[in-house]
Amino acid sequence: MVSRAEAGQDAVFAALASPLRRQLLDLLRAGERNAGELAAAFDVSRPAVSQHLAVLQHADLVAERKSGRHRVYALRAAPLRSVGDWLGPYEDFWTERLDALGRHLRGRHGDPAAEERGR
Amino acid sequence: MHRRGDTIRIQREYPYPVEAVWSALVDPAQLAEWLMPNDFRAAVGHRFTFRTKPRPGFDGVVHCEVLALDAPDLLRYSWRGGPMTEPSIVTWELSATAAGCRVVLRHENLAQNVYSWFVGRTLRLGWGGLLRRKLPAAVARRAAPAS
Repeated sequence: MVSRAEAGQDAVFAALASPLRRQLLDLLRAGERNAGELAAAFDVSRPAVSQHLAVLQHADLVAERKSGRHRVYALRAAPLRSVGDWLGPYEDFWTERLDALGRHLRGRHGDPAAEERGR
Repeated sequence: MHRRGDTIRIQREYPYPVEAVWSALVDPAQLAEWLMPNDFRAAVGHRFTFRTKPRPGFDGVVHCEVLALDAPDLLRYSWRGGPMTEPSIVTWELSATAAGCRVVLRHENLAQNVYSWFVGRTLRLGWGGLLRRKLPAAVARRAAPAS
């Protein structure tokens, strides 16, 4: 039995597995683009680009809205948060560095507990 | 240690006077010993870098700018490195306690980097490994962003 969250993650992973779809997301990172602008950036047919956009929409990585005659696409970063513990590496990094700060202080100013015992 | 939204907050206490800890945060030579080699200067507006060993997906340079400075209890700088597209903000707050010095570190504004983090990470690990594991969190913990 696959939970809804897991199904959502599978869709995100599947969507990100294509280099062209990752390039589409890269373009959208700079701001909204309409279908024509996106298609113009690639060497593949416009229907092919539309299909890729549909996969991204299915994974909720891209939102579509209509603006006059155009379909405009925007990046949605929220699903990426669900697939990765993206703060984790920063926490690990700072935890390690704060330990190193403690060692540095002890090396430079001595061990206060040891001085206490020596008194 | 806790998170709220896009912020990491870690609190520590060191058995040394606030001034000793402060100088470890603003003296480039000391910073190099426990954080990274740098050209930091204690002046608001000063742009500097932390440099570490490059590796795939990270050129080893963290770009920073001193945003606030109030010796000996507040230091804030921007922090942009690796796959980050926008600067994040690192804040150090020091206060005296009976036992020495309390240090509160906050790393904020990481939200806009979630996508670039993800891409950078997956570029490094390879899609195959990522898809097989299905748990990027566990994978991600193996590498700090800038150590």
